[in-house]
Amino acid sequence: MLAIAHSATLIGARGYPVRVEAHVSDGLPSFAIVGLPDASCRESRDRVRAALLSSKFVVKQARTTVNLAPTHLRKAGAGLDVAIALALMVATGQLDAELLDGHAFIGELGLDGSMRPVIGTLPLCEAAGDLRPVVAHADAAEAALVRPDARCARTLSELVGALRGDLPWPDGEPRRSHGSGPPDEPDLGDVQGQTVARRALEVAAAGGHHLLMVGPPGGGKTMLAERLPGLLPDLTDQAALDVSRVHSAAGALEDTSRLLRRPPMRAPHHTASMVALVGGGSTVLRPGEISLASGGVLFLDELGEFPAAHLDALRQPLESGVVRVARAHVGASLPARFLLVAATNPCPCGVGPFGPCRCSAAQIQRYQRRLSGPLLDRFDLGLWVDPPPASDVLGQRSAGESTAVVRDRVARARERARGRGVSANRQLRGEALERAAPLSAEALAVLRDHLAAGRLTMRGAQRIRAVALTLMDLDGLDGPLDAERVQVALSMRTHAQALGVAA
Amino acid sequence: MTPPRRLSPTPDGPDADPDDRSVPLEAYLGALATLDGMGSASLRTLLSLGSPSEVWERICRGSVDARLRNALAPVARDASGGWAAQARSVDPVALWTRWRSRGIGVVSIGSPSYPACLLDDLDPPVLLFHRGDLDALAHPRVAVIGTRRATGYGRRVAHELGLDLASAGVCVVSGLALGIDAAAHNGAVAASDRALGSTVETHVDPSVSGPTQAGPVAVVGGGVDAPGPSTNAALARRVVDVGAVLSEAPPGTRPAPWRFPVRNRILAALAPVVVVVESAERGGSMLTVEQAQLRDRTVLAVPGPVDSPASAGTNALISEGALVCRGADDVVSALGLSLEGVANSPVANRPEPDGDAASVLAVLGFTPVSIESLSRDLDLDLGRLSVALGRLEALGWAERRGPFVERVARSDGGPRR
Repeated sequence: MLAIAHSATLIGARGYPVRVEAHVSDGLPSFAIVGLPDASCRESRDRVRAALLSSKFVVKQARTTVNLAPTHLRKAGAGLDVAIALALMVATGQLDAELLDGHAFIGELGLDGSMRPVIGTLPLCEAAGDLRPVVAHADAAEAALVRPDARCARTLSELVGALRGDLPWPDGEPRRSHGSGPPDEPDLGDVQGQTVARRALEVAAAGGHHLLMVGPPGGGKTMLAERLPGLLPDLTDQAALDVSRVHSAAGALEDTSRLLRRPPMRAPHHTASMVALVGGGSTVLRPGEISLASGGVLFLDELGEFPAAHLDALRQPLESGVVRVARAHVGASLPARFLLVAATNPCPCGVGPFGPCRCSAAQIQRYQRRLSGPLLDRFDLGLWVDPPPASDVLGQRSAGESTAVVRDRVARARERARGRGVSANRQLRGEALERAAPLSAEALAVLRDHLAAGRLTMRGAQRIRAVALTLMDLDGLDGPLDAERVQVALSMRTHAQALGVAA
Repeated sequence: MTPPRRLSPTPDGPDADPDDRSVPLEAYLGALATLDGMGSASLRTLLSLGSPSEVWERICRGSVDARLRNALAPVARDASGGWAAQARSVDPVALWTRWRSRGIGVVSIGSPSYPACLLDDLDPPVLLFHRGDLDALAHPRVAVIGTRRATGYGRRVAHELGLDLASAGVCVVSGLALGIDAAAHNGAVAASDRALGSTVETHVDPSVSGPTQAGPVAVVGGGVDAPGPSTNAALARRVVDVGAVLSEAPPGTRPAPWRFPVRNRILAALAPVVVVVESAERGGSMLTVEQAQLRDRTVLAVPGPVDSPASAGTNALISEGALVCRGADDVVSALGLSLEGVANSPVANRPEPDGDAASVLAVLGFTPVSIESLSRDLDLDLGRLSVALGRLEALGWAERRGPFVERVARSDGGPRR
């Protein structure tokens, strides 16, 4: 006889509803799962069988076929286990078919009949649609983020009991309220000196301008980058959901009791593979680091050590804000709207052109060739970071502004950007930029001089305008761009010789 | 850029050449030079057999006797077994026509366009391939040489020397290698760019400007069609545009190691003054210096930090009595010229800045400094500092390169920094 249970499967960062159909008939005993299951999904057969037996249910020796519809979708992972087990029980007459109505079952089974959490509960529950999700007890908090009506159970027998009405539905774990204050992000006030670097961080945060930091080791590049996420305002409700969904799909959601409200920061090591960076995999299509950094900061330390192909793969997502990962059978669009912060040494030995550098000219050229021109073009802000003098480190200067002060300014600047219809000024292009950032007469003269002297390209001039506009926003100024902001933008830009090495 | 002049080959082919008889001579010489392992000395030895065309015939026939073969340089002797087969597959006249159509000229020691300055050399090259304009050699010539593994200091000094010397009408001769060579040529090429209506020179009083700047000359170890390492390809094209690239090796030759010392002797022969910017105690630059000393050339060395390996050779030269080079002025006086009235110096009539810009300029040296450290040292906020830097840029005193600032002009009479 035929039975149907509902569930969902994950592709990229999105859940898709799946109908699990079980058919049990006379014939040679067999158990087949069809409908494009991947290996972990096909292994359900053995898990489900053992879980049913452990839970004191009957496994009938019969010809059993389980179909996962729609059949064109690849199904990965063990999240369909519970739905398969229940469909089998209905098909063998151990459970009434109508008890399953209106529910979507998302969970993995242990051989002992326990229900285990799965990766991507959040998007899977979203895919349940009109149905009421039922998840493992450990996933209850995460499911409740998007489906407050979600139910949960610890074991298969508890689930069956609750469905029959013999047992009460267990409550989800009470929401653990972690400290409600902002999480311990390092404070900008700890940075001694480095006024230009601090300003550049602020501009990057306010305008979404990508930032390249170059300098010898120990200059504080990593320390500065770590302070950037703290300058970004809290995520909006929609953004928080988007970010949490991706983290859930990657199994990277640490605190499942609430949505991610702070912009994430990801710092992949330079040995990360292309798939780990961009996302992919043959069936599952896991979100990569750039998707996990979406809404926050992607920090690439030792940019020059990343393989050139990996870096060039970032160019398209940098422009479009999404990355379309396609494989032979599946494809997925993953979000990739991140603020790119990169740090690199000026040369392999790290000393740079102003110290006793031991690199040969060829070594330096090879090192710098990794950074393709088009990629360097994407960085609106360039910064040379070298260790501040001892007097600054020892705190003989007054401490700078704290993260909270700067974050308020950044939030106000972002507010102005939203008034222009974009989330940050970097997204202003062509016509919209012309309208939003008219030039004063002096500012126009400055840019014209630079263009005439060949120190600036037209594209570079547009980027200068966007950065100058962000500076105006931070200072709360209206009206056409003034010469001073344009000059500051010129002081903070990257250069083809951003690594500071001449000829 | 520069239209081909009298000495440059025309694409019309050999038939259009009025001096019809010289064509086959250089064609056969050129073809001989393409044989494996053929260098200047071996070529000269072979020419003792007769005219180039006769020598070519004999090689094609394979009838070069063993005694002569033993007199050849070792590289050539080893390769000479394959010469006959190689020569039979080459048509000298077609080869010559192809070179000329690609803008590559060939001059031999007898021809009128052969550089006069090489004629009375100890070991003049029998044959020179060239692209660009050999007239560049008519200017006073200075060789600027140094190590490939140059430091930032060396590259800066070489660039400045190239720029200042070329602006002063001196032909900068170098080898188009990485490091010092490239920096010197970049400087010399930049001088030509400036002279071609650049905005930087708007403050120069036209009545003061001296003779036109001189184009650089590169002497390379490989073929003139692809001289130097590939990273210098763009620079090589610019050198051809404003000056000339010379080589003893036929086009298409990849520079074998033995060709560099041979090339160095031409560098020393061309230039009455040789400036070593940076060199280790042993190295190609020191070989050039030896060649220069054989020819009684004036050798100058740029002093460097005593603990820098890249300056060990130059510092040793100074202790042995080489002249000290502190800048283009020293080189020009070594040439016996005066920079006064010759120099197309970029300082003339540049307005002095005031206010913040003046205090920024006061601390700016010719070494690039980061904007961060300027802001720290001067205690200026980024806004005021940026405006001051913009003012200095507009006046042509300094230039921002990404996060760095570099001074690009010096004050009148002030000490060099």
